[in-house]
Amino acid sequence: MTTNGEEAEALRRPPSLPRPPRTGDFLGKHRLSAAISRLNQEIQYLEEELNELEKMAPSSAACMEVCLSTEGKSDALLPETPGPENPAWHRWFQRVRSSHSRKWWTHKGSSDIS
Amino acid sequence: MSFPELKERHVAATAKVNSLREQLKQRRHQLLDTDVAKYAKSQGRTAVNFSSTDLVCSRTLQGHTGKVYSLDWTPEKNRIVSASQDGRLIIWNALTSQKTHAIKLPCAWVMTCAFAPNGNSVACGGLDSACSIFNLNSQVDRDGNIPVSRVLTGHKGYVSSCQYVPGQDTRLITSSGDQTCVLWDVTTGQRISIFGGEFPSGHTSDVLSVSINTSNSNMFVSGSCDATARLWDARIASRAIRTYHGHQGDVNAVKFFPDGQRFGTGSDDGTCMLFDMRTGHQLQVYSQQLDNSDQDAPIVTSIAFSISGRLLFAGYSNGDCYVWDTLLAEVVLNLGKLQTSHEGRISCLGLSDDGSALCTGSWDKNLKIWAFGGHRKVI
Repeated sequence: MTTNGEEAEALRRPPSLPRPPRTGDFLGKHRLSAAISRLNQEIQYLEEELNELEKMAPSSAACMEVCLSTEGKSDALLPETPGPENPAWHRWFQRVRSSHSRKWWTHKGSSDIS
Repeated sequence: MSFPELKERHVAATAKVNSLREQLKQRRHQLLDTDVAKYAKSQGRTAVNFSSTDLVCSRTLQGHTGKVYSLDWTPEKNRIVSASQDGRLIIWNALTSQKTHAIKLPCAWVMTCAFAPNGNSVACGGLDSACSIFNLNSQVDRDGNIPVSRVLTGHKGYVSSCQYVPGQDTRLITSSGDQTCVLWDVTTGQRISIFGGEFPSGHTSDVLSVSINTSNSNMFVSGSCDATARLWDARIASRAIRTYHGHQGDVNAVKFFPDGQRFGTGSDDGTCMLFDMRTGHQLQVYSQQLDNSDQDAPIVTSIAFSISGRLLFAGYSNGDCYVWDTLLAEVVLNLGKLQTSHEGRISCLGLSDDGSALCTGSWDKNLKIWAFGGHRKVI
């Protein structure tokens, strides 16, 4: 939608009696124009994305990458994990004296916390 | 152009957008030749085998007098900051369970909190539409409170989530009910960039969550009430790089996968998903089939990946905390059904920096630390 096009269209329309513009009309046209601009921009983005999809690999390639990426990485929360095992992982089950209370945490292996 | 002509154009443009969206949806569907679980099974992979006592609640952090809404760990050390309905931030030493700081907030309606990378400051935000920064080394005022060192103002709606840019104590990203995300310079309090808002590729509803890519801190993803997640390049505010469709409800949580090429989402529709950042493919849906389909599925409030990415932790509104095997898309443990579970909705969760512990926060006012207490096989 270009200004030249608008002017050309206005010239083609039969002359009509001028009437004072109403504020509601002006605001309505302004909002509509802005909305149309946004929609046109979105059309452009969507068309770009469709073009992208023409050359895009299917999901299996990414699925394979996901599976590979989790391998060989040491993970303290897994029951079976590649090393090295970091001794610091055990700190959550070691005795820690709190200066505010006499609480001692239980050893690893117990599911009851006193 | 006359009003009726403009209206015609608007109708035509709307129809074109809808048609293109439908074409995109169908074309994307054709490209989904498999998902992660089908692929993993085809490779002979089997689910992680937990015994019910493997993940143990080794600490319960008590002290808040209201629902816990948000938590964040420091990198490297054992400290956690939590935000609560009681209008306070508490900084905990997770190892000793001690509270090192309790900050009474000027605005009690806090929704999110974050630790700065250097561990010296915390940020929080909420219904005041601002993000407040507190320096933990500042002198307390006469009421014993840590004073606010900086307030980041500019959002026109609530601040739902905030995260410091990894490795940068002066840069922070917020998400907001005003439909935008903002990158801030904490030292000057200025907005460096606004993502969304007047630009057409921004979110069309409240933004609820944000996650910055640790492999490439220029990239971040946001989740919104518009049921999409969007990828942004912090250097390009004018448009979202990509929009990810698939959820049927608000996207409450987004989190990058450890490889930095994928990210997870959690939604009001009760499911989690794994998306491929670069292509936009929906790689996996994590969903429990309910027997009674009339019941509303519990919503997913928060998610986190274990350090290898093999486990996806998801907190739900009914107090469940599912441990999903990311590859096999099976629930391998439910931390919500143990004796030591929370007694209310899980609102937030996060992994310690070394991945050895998970912290969960709940509407039962507590935080819990979970670690592996079973027999570990090192291969």
